[in-house]
Amino acid sequence: MFALKLSMATSFWATVFNVVFGLFASYVLSRYNFWGRNALIVTISLPTAIPTAVAGFALLLLWGPYGTLGRFLEPHGIQVMFTAGAIILANVFVTFPLAFGVIKPVFDTMSRSLEEASATIGATRWQTFWHVTLPSLRGAIVSGALLTFARAVGEFGSTILVSGNLAGHTQTAPLYIFAKFNEGQIEAANAIAIVLALFSFLIFSVLFFARDWLDVD
Amino acid sequence: MIGVSKRFGKTSVLEDISFDVAEGEALVLLGASGSGKTTILRIIAGLEQPYTGKVILHGRDVTELPARERGVGVIFQAYALFPKMTVEKNIGYGLRIRKRKRKEIRETVNELLSLVQLEEHRKKFPSQLSGGQQQRVAIARTLAYKPEVLLFDEPFGALDTQTRTHLRREIRALLRKVNVPAIFITHDQEEALELGDRVAVINKGHIEQIGTPFEIYNQPATEYVATFLGAANLLDAVVRDSSLEIGNARIPSQLDPVRFREGDSVKIVFRPEDVALSKTDFVRPGQHRIGTAAIEEISFVGAYERLRLQLDQKGREDSRIDDDSFYLTSETPESHQVKSIIATRPKPEASATKLRIGERVVVAITSFTVLPQKEKRNS
Repeated sequence: MFALKLSMATSFWATVFNVVFGLFASYVLSRYNFWGRNALIVTISLPTAIPTAVAGFALLLLWGPYGTLGRFLEPHGIQVMFTAGAIILANVFVTFPLAFGVIKPVFDTMSRSLEEASATIGATRWQTFWHVTLPSLRGAIVSGALLTFARAVGEFGSTILVSGNLAGHTQTAPLYIFAKFNEGQIEAANAIAIVLALFSFLIFSVLFFARDWLDVD
Repeated sequence: MIGVSKRFGKTSVLEDISFDVAEGEALVLLGASGSGKTTILRIIAGLEQPYTGKVILHGRDVTELPARERGVGVIFQAYALFPKMTVEKNIGYGLRIRKRKRKEIRETVNELLSLVQLEEHRKKFPSQLSGGQQQRVAIARTLAYKPEVLLFDEPFGALDTQTRTHLRREIRALLRKVNVPAIFITHDQEEALELGDRVAVINKGHIEQIGTPFEIYNQPATEYVATFLGAANLLDAVVRDSSLEIGNARIPSQLDPVRFREGDSVKIVFRPEDVALSKTDFVRPGQHRIGTAAIEEISFVGAYERLRLQLDQKGREDSRIDDDSFYLTSETPESHQVKSIIATRPKPEASATKLRIGERVVVAITSFTVLPQKEKRNS
């Protein structure tokens, strides 16, 4: 089913982005102090408090063809909204705080002396990050990724606004359910709904039962 | 031969620190919390930069080099073992990041495991080891890459007394075997005396004295060193005709004529174990009678007996001497003056000659150091 495939793909890329930039953001915001740091942390964590429809609408206002930024891109033929890219963007916007909020505390509580020890032993910054810091983050990265993915797969409010809901192009699974329901095709809606429900259930089961393995000592 | 010289740390945390450590020597930096000793260690390791000065390792000026290029081995206070790596992986870390061959890594790790006697634990994780074992892993981890100097940051702080004493000896033996110079930081004077070939006493960012344990204990150069190293008695005295006048007593002494002149006020410092008590006025050779005293208090401290004595004051016409005798430790606040001295007697003597509170005894001292009354300090 295209809708399912689209959902999986967009959620996947949103997850990748979240993990990579979540790590980066957590590292910088945890380690370095600068003017406006706390404001930045709050700003990053804010999207979870915003209703998803509002988030989607805001993105449209910004990136849409007549939007604040989008209007500069439109003449060049670059359209951000109403594409699969827009879905990924919306997903990231809404789920980034989840990954960030799981990864940053690990940085905050990580003992600085581990990194210092690695440095005195002779490791470069990259070697230290790879061998010492990352392994301790393993649990947080996996939880962050799973949370992001589960949330992104089920995302509706922002997706419906930024994607344009074009069947076969930008219609994710939740949008598909909504569309079929409106058309009266209940069985089709049901089928996808069940798949989605099982999938989310699966993810959360993993999160729950693997908690000990995911939890860093 | 490694030489370390640093001057003026940031915001005057350190002032004019300069010392060197010889090959195979163990130097202890002894000082109270906040004295700056940890900062010195971190500067040597490269974790902090000195405001001025240089760090020289084996003739190489490493002041501008980052920590990882200096070839130092640091054993942190909490050991900082990598929690997700096994013991052998921890030990092999230094060689792995230097991209050594697997065979070489394996051999070195095996060697070190047997050196620190942790072969059966090689596959364990740090959280499964005791404090003493973790420390041995930390040491092995640094030895793997043959550092030029080992830096120990309060290595025995987290351990109980028994393990501590045991480990101290083990580490001393280990260091002699590998012949790497080592610098220890501690605030425990007993540890410093046992561990170091030389000890540097640090006070508020500067070195009070560097010397062998014997020297700093028995010949303290300043009042701080005297009181930091253990209980100390201080008495005021005056220099007269190349002897010292304490109250009504005179004791002969070899004084440096440059430092001490006729009529100078000085302090003499002696330890509780340097006091000899006697019920008769018979003074043995080597003992210098300083007067009589009444026994105020007697306590039993296991291996020896501790007595507090009140020295009998004799009136003096000379206004230059206060005739105050007082017992000081580093905890005694400046203004608090107690006119007593502390003496200890080993068990055999205490059993042979029993003394009681209120009795009067003759007090003599067997060893003492002379300090100027006013010490010059660079502030």
